[in-house]
This record gives sequence, C-alpha cells and structure tokens, in this order.
Amino acid sequence: MNDSEQAALIPDEGEVGIVEHQDFVSAERFRFESGGSIPELRQRYETYGRLNAAKDNAILICHALTGDHHCAGVYSLEERKQGWWNFMVGPGKPINTSKYFVICSNALGGCQGSSGPGSINPETGKPYNLDFPKLTVRDMVRAQSLLLDSLGIERLHAVVGGSMGGMQTMQWVIDYPERVGRYIALACGARHTAQAIAFNDTGRQAIITDPGWQQGNYSTDAAPDQGLAVARMMAHITYLSDVGMQSKFGRKRRASAKEHFDVEFEVESYLRYQGKSFVTRFDANSYLYLTKALDRFDLHSPESLDATLSPVTAPGLVVGFTSDWLYPPQGNRELVEALLRLGKDASYAELEMDYGHDSFLVRAPKLYKLIRNFLER
Amino acid sequence: MPPQSAKKRQADFQVIARWVAPGERILDLGCGRGILLEYLKQTKGVYGVGVDVDIDRVSSCVKRSVPVYQGDAHEVLRTFQDDAFDRVIFSRTVEQFDNPDATLREGLRVGKRVTVGFVNHAYWKNRVSAAFRGRRIVNEVYPNPWYASLSANPFSVAEFEDYCQQKHIKIGNKVYLAGDWRRECKFLPNLLAGYAIYDLSSAD
Repeated sequence: MNDSEQAALIPDEGEVGIVEHQDFVSAERFRFESGGSIPELRQRYETYGRLNAAKDNAILICHALTGDHHCAGVYSLEERKQGWWNFMVGPGKPINTSKYFVICSNALGGCQGSSGPGSINPETGKPYNLDFPKLTVRDMVRAQSLLLDSLGIERLHAVVGGSMGGMQTMQWVIDYPERVGRYIALACGARHTAQAIAFNDTGRQAIITDPGWQQGNYSTDAAPDQGLAVARMMAHITYLSDVGMQSKFGRKRRASAKEHFDVEFEVESYLRYQGKSFVTRFDANSYLYLTKALDRFDLHSPESLDATLSPVTAPGLVVGFTSDWLYPPQGNRELVEALLRLGKDASYAELEMDYGHDSFLVRAPKLYKLIRNFLER
Repeated sequence: MPPQSAKKRQADFQVIARWVAPGERILDLGCGRGILLEYLKQTKGVYGVGVDVDIDRVSSCVKRSVPVYQGDAHEVLRTFQDDAFDRVIFSRTVEQFDNPDATLREGLRVGKRVTVGFVNHAYWKNRVSAAFRGRRIVNEVYPNPWYASLSANPFSVAEFEDYCQQKHIKIGNKVYLAGDWRRECKFLPNLLAGYAIYDLSSAD
C-alpha cells in the first residue's frame, strides 16, 4: 500500500452527495440484557440509496467504537469532511448505493443521537449518566433490529461492520440468523484479548480519575475532557501500527518547541490534536459504557465458540489485517475456523496492510475487490 | 507460476471428480481460485472449503461462492477435529510443504480420505534433461529457472509409493497420466507418467 494506490481512481463511481440523519423513536420501554430498562429508545441513522419494493436490498453497516451513523456523504456542499466509510459506500462503490439501500445507525450507548448515558431520561428530565443500564453488544444489535422493524425490513441483504461493528455483525448472525442474507466482519474477533482489555481500562481510568468526571454526573461545560483526551490518545495508538506510525511521523520535529515539555515531535502534535478534537464530539460516559460492553463481549461463553456460532446460517466473510495488533489476525481467523468446523459457509481473508487496526478504514484496491466480490456474487 | 494452459492446470480435476461421491465434505489445500471446488459443488453438490495463501486467489474464491480460508495448510488442518471432512485434497501442493510427512498425516487425520496429485519428477524427459544436459528442465510444468522458482521438493511416483508403504498409508484408487497429462498411462509409471493421482486412507 502506498499513497498512489489510495488515490487510485476507480471508474463509474459516484458520491452519495448531501445526506441528512433521521431519528427513530420508540416509546416502548427498551429492556437491556442486564435487566435494566429505559422508557424510550432513540436511534439516529442515515440511509443511502433506495429501498426496493420487496424491501430485500438493505445493507446494515455497523460502526466502530467511536464512529457514528454518518458513514457516507456530506451534510452540506461547504463541508469537506465526508462520512467515515465514504470510499466504500456510494454509487458504483463496493457497497453500491445504486443497488442497495444502506442503513447506518448510531450504536445504542453512543452519543451522536441514539440513546446513551448522555441522553435525557424523559422520566426525570435529566441525563441518565450512570443510571443508564449496563450495556452489551447484544443490546446494540437488538436496538438496530427495532429500527429495521420500523422501516419494514424483515431480512437484510447483508450486515457489514468493522471492529466493534464486526462484533455487532457477529451478534446479528447469532441472534437473528433468519434476518441476515450474508455478512462481512472486519478487524474483529470473538472476544477481547487481555491486552485489549488492559488498554480499555487504562483509558477508562484516565476518565474516571479526572476530577471533572464527578461520578459520571458532570455537566457538558465541565466534563472530564482531559481524561477523555488521554484515553483517546492512547486508544489511537492501538489503532495504528508501529510501521505505519514510523513512516507517517518518524522522528520529525516541530520547530516551535521552546519549553522542555512542549510539543516537540510530530507524533505528539498529532496525538494531542486527536485527543482535543475527540472531546468535542464524544461523551466520556459513552466511552466508558461502550468500551465496557466490548470488554465483556465473549463469544466463547457461556459454553464454547462453536456452540455460540451454531445458529449462524448466512454465508460470511471475515477479514483480518496483518498489522492489526489490537484485534490481531488470529482472533479473526478463530471465528472462521469455528464456523468451518460447524460446516458453515464462511471465508477468511487476510490483507497485508501497514495501517494497523484502522486498515479497514483505508482505501485499498484489494479490500475493495474483496468486498465487491462478496456482495455481488 | 503453474502451467499456463488451463487444461494442464486442471489435469487432475476429471479424475478427482470421478472419485468424489455426491454431497461429500471436502477440504482443498492449495485451492487456487476455487475452480475445482466450484465444479464439484455444481456437479456433485459437495460442501467444499478451500485453503490458499494468496489474497488474489482467495478473493476469486469469494467471488465464486467457494468458502475459503486464507492461511497455511498445516496450520488450518490443526484447527479441525478428526474426520471433519470426507476428503482432503492436495493437488500439486505436497511439493511445497515444509514437512510433507507431517502435513499429509494431518490430512489423514482430518479427512477420511486424502487425495494427492503431483507431477512425477522421474518422468523420462526430466531424467534425460538431467542426464544429458546436466540442467533441470524448464517447460510448461516447470516454467521457471531455479533462481526464480518457489522452494519445492519434487518427488517421483516410486518415491511416493515407497513412502506410503513405509508409513502404512493405504493406497486406494490411483491414476497415472501420460506426459500430456490427459491420456492415462498404464505402463512403467515411474518412467512414463507425467502426473499421478492417489486416493489414500489411514491403514487401520
């Protein structure tokens, strides 16, 4: 992979253009796997393309931990930042919106418009904060299923997701096998490694020990921004790779450093910027809830990985990335090994890319082709 | 690169297809672009899984709706339970294993049968080239000179059959193909066969 490959133009591709989000609100009480409940469920989502008359051309995209429902297009012509998977989703692109009706919703527990710890509890008129029930990946998926019900979609053509989205994808085909035609899970695994949990908890500790956190009862103008920024900086390192960081930053310095601990290296500047900009769009409590849900996700339990995956009926594709040390290839392979032991139609592909865990967010011709081959077959 | 002509590349397909029973569960190690498994799926309704190391070939399998696992043959065999498949196919792959004996034995554990197809290195033209020219042959089957070849461990019909006897591996069906890899060769296979295909099972 190099920059010229990334920029390679692919003919007959278009853009989804200007998009806007929609809200699904269910006034029915939503019950969580943990037993807790909230009086109403909100799901913010975007759609691209058209749902056909048979309502069988829908693809659900599940986003990663700090992603959102805005996976393609722009909100206005002035805006330069496109949705997080814009290169993958659009007319003529691998997830082809000329053919498919694409849905992406903000995960339950998130902070971009779906119900989460920062949402107002209609019963009290105040944010839930830590009264928000304990959250699981299964809860996120069930919330999405209610959104699909509201759209009249019984069965999806496909579910696609990377990282946390990959875990949701696996949960989809386990919990709702009859509703999924096929699936693609990228850069994920059956459960977190000790290392992944360790990084998540260090991030959580940065938030919880920030005096601004206030047992979760902070106000938006005095939030634990410092803790959240540090959590993000550290997590961001886990999304990249050693080789990728070295080639991007090396030991490049900034001329402006005067004081001993000023920003000196480019990589410091980059990470501090990532931390600072993250706090403007993400809520600390959401970060705590979502990372905890991911740490607890474990397809090996209650019995075994094979037993958990036994309900799966849809053909699947799992994609690992060689430089991903957060969700290493082995964890991705393990899913397919179990599916094949069970005699399922499942494939494992491994892409050699230097971008670490975030490789699935990088425009790469081989990834492109793989996704297209699977969705179009 | 394998032989350029599709006919040669698929020399053992017809023979293997004859041996495969309808609905078999098959693991094809070194499945390439999944052509054999696609064919067996269409003609025999098998459940077939391919294994290959190359992403482009894996991507082609995905396109053909052939379940495929990108990875090392020996490593993937270890993840399966005993007799997980009715048949494990090694079509022109044994030559490239680091430890052919260990991988064949894993194949025999995971598959009730193992089908092996390989180029007979003792084919007379190879012998002539080595004896008279002092050079290894470069042709359609061995298209690359030594410095541009994958590390491979070629062997002959006689060597393979010795191996099976020593290790108590039972040879069931076998077919020798002549130098053109089409006509069957019934006579002096170690000298005259260009290609050999065997069905093996553990002698128990």
